[in-house]
Amino acid sequence: MSCFVRFWGTRGSIPTPGRKTHRYGGNTSCVEVRIDDSMFVLDGGTGLRELGVDLLKRGPAPVRAHMLFSHMHWDHIQGFPFFVPAYLPNSRLSIYGTFTGDRRHHQLLSGQMSSDYFPVDFSSLNANIVASDLGPPTGRIIEGVAVRCFDQRHPGGSYAYSLEKDGVRVVYSTDNEVDLGLADPAAAQRDLAAPRELPPELVAFCRGADLLIADGQYTDDEYVKKVGWGHPRASTVTDLAVQAGVGQLAIFHHDPMHSDDHIDALVGECRERVARWGSGVIVFAAREGMTLKLG
Amino acid sequence: MSLPDDPLDSATRAQAVPVLTARPSVRSHQLQQVEGPGAPQLIELRGTSLIIGRSPEAEVRIPSSSLSRQHVRLDRGDDGWTVTDLDSSNGLYLNEIRIYSAELRDGDTVQLSDALFVYFEGR
Ligand SMILES: [Zn+2]
Ligand SMILES: [Zn+2]
Repeated sequence: MSCFVRFWGTRGSIPTPGRKTHRYGGNTSCVEVRIDDSMFVLDGGTGLRELGVDLLKRGPAPVRAHMLFSHMHWDHIQGFPFFVPAYLPNSRLSIYGTFTGDRRHHQLLSGQMSSDYFPVDFSSLNANIVASDLGPPTGRIIEGVAVRCFDQRHPGGSYAYSLEKDGVRVVYSTDNEVDLGLADPAAAQRDLAAPRELPPELVAFCRGADLLIADGQYTDDEYVKKVGWGHPRASTVTDLAVQAGVGQLAIFHHDPMHSDDHIDALVGECRERVARWGSGVIVFAAREGMTLKLG
Repeated sequence: MSLPDDPLDSATRAQAVPVLTARPSVRSHQLQQVEGPGAPQLIELRGTSLIIGRSPEAEVRIPSSSLSRQHVRLDRGDDGWTVTDLDSSNGLYLNEIRIYSAELRDGDTVQLSDALFVYFEGR
C-alpha cells in the first residue's frame, strides 16, 4: 500500500501571493491524497488549479478524482472553475455529500459558476461530474479506502474527513473552531498553559492518525480577538494531536496576515507545547508543493 | 565657499535623460553541503536534473555508507528546484521533517542521513 499526501494550497481565507509567503505558499486550501491508484482531493481552493495543471503533465490517463469539501466558503471552492480536468470529457469527478442523499456540495459548487459570478456555466463542463455521498455516519468504502466525516464548529458548518487503508490514516480537519467545543472555554483563556479539555468525539475521530492536517490559524494572542470566526488556536490543535496520539500534525489554513517567519514562530510554540506534554508528535507547517509519504 | 562653476553647488541642469540598461547577473541556485563526508562544498545546480547519492554514477557523490546509491533526485522546475526521495533507506529530511518531495526555498535545509545541505535560491 502506498499513501502520498501533497499540499497544493495551505492558506486560509484568501490567496496571499508575494515574497513574505514564498516558503509556505499563498494558494488556499487544497490537499491531494493518493492511496494506491485512487486519488482523493480535499477541498478546492486556489491550489486546485495547480493540481489540475500537474495532473495533465502526469500523462494521458483520464483523471478520476474523489472530491471531498470541508465546506463551501470561497477559500475552499474557488479553484474549481479553473480545474482543467473538469473541462475534459473523459474525466470523472465525484463530489461527495456527507450523508445519504446529501447533494449540497455538488449544488453549491455549480452555483458559484452561475453567470453572475463566472463566464462558463457548470453545465458546459465536459467532465462527468457525479454527485455522490458518504452514506451513513459510519462512512463508506471508496476504492478500498474507508472514508468518514465529522461535523465541526464553523459558521455555516464544516466537516473533517478521515481516509484510511491498511492501517494508514490521514485526518483532514480544517475550519474548525475547536476552542468553542472545549469543556470550559473560559478556563483555557484563564490558563493558556494548562492542557485543553477537548471534545471526546473529536479526539476519538483523530485517534491514532498517522497525519492530522488541522486548521491552526491563530496564536493565543490573536484568538481572543477572533472568537466565533471559525478557527482555533494553534495551541489547541496541538493538544488535540497530543491527546489523540497522532504521528504528525500539519498546521494548516495559515492566516493571510502571517508571513513565513510568523508561521515558523507559531510552529515553534506548538513544538514547545508538545515537548512540555512529553509527547513525540511531530509538528510542522503545511507547505505548498510538499509531499509526504505515509505508511 | 565654493567656486561658482562647481557642478555640485550650481543649479540642476535640465537635460534629455538617456535611458540606461543594466543586465542583472544570473546566479545559479546552489546547495551548500555543511555537514557530512565531503563538506564543506558548494554545488551549483545546473541543467534539468541531478542525482545525489553514494554511487560513483551520481552527479553529486557523497562518500557515506549511510546514503543510498541514488538517494534523491533534484529537478529543475518553473520556480526553482524540487527534491524527491528515491526510495532511500534513510530518507529525506526538509528542515528536520521527513518528506517525500518538496519545492526548495531559500534557506531550506536538506538532510540525507549524515549529510546536511543548505539551499540558496539564485536569480
Ligand atoms: Zn477556510
Ligand atoms: Zn470557512
